[in-house]
Amino acid sequence: MLLFRSEGTVARWCEARGLPQRPLVRLDQLWQLALTWYANRLTEESRRPAPDEMAGIFAAIGLHGGFWDPKADHWRRG
Amino acid sequence: MDHDSFETRVKLAIYGAFAGAGRAPTSRDVAAALGATADAVEAAFDALHARRLLVTEPGDRSRIRMAPPFSGIATPFRVAVGDRTYDANCAWDALGIPAALHADAVIHASDGHSGEPITLVVRDGAPVPEPCVIHFAVPAAHWWDDIIHT
Repeated sequence: MLLFRSEGTVARWCEARGLPQRPLVRLDQLWQLALTWYANRLTEESRRPAPDEMAGIFAAIGLHGGFWDPKADHWRRG
Repeated sequence: MDHDSFETRVKLAIYGAFAGAGRAPTSRDVAAALGATADAVEAAFDALHARRLLVTEPGDRSRIRMAPPFSGIATPFRVAVGDRTYDANCAWDALGIPAALHADAVIHASDGHSGEPITLVVRDGAPVPEPCVIHFAVPAAHWWDDIIHT
């Protein structure tokens, strides 16, 4: 995912690549994701949130909808 | 030693090396640190990849491309913490480095379209407000289809 100064430069980036514009995330929302994913990453117990946990994490910071649904992403948790 | 505890030791060695030196260790570096063989460490790399904690270089499982939030190669997301500088894999991981290190940071990045420099500051446990937005081009279900692209 990329950083942009404004929604306008996102639109131009998408247009230049023929890609659809996806939901935008605010800096404060991204910080909450960074804390949730990485605050304990250097510890013995660290793990990446599993798909069934991720949907709740996204919803708690206002990221709703099918774009944020990781249920099709299967991998070994632990 | 069982596989899970060895895997955990490998994970901690990788993250300790990234945090302390700002760059990725090789499987030989980790093997030397743990008194293990490079083959055993590379098997642990594979297991950590399956847990979405590690990505090795395509075609070379001895070298680490990503141990999120850290990048093993130079990227457009440079994160300064104290006197060390780290590379992050993306905007999320750029914030992930101060989150993981529990430290203030200055992130040197740029607008994905125009290239305009954007500096983000994390101070006292939160980012200082800065005009910007983050665009996720890939839906969550497909982030790990090609995580280097994502």
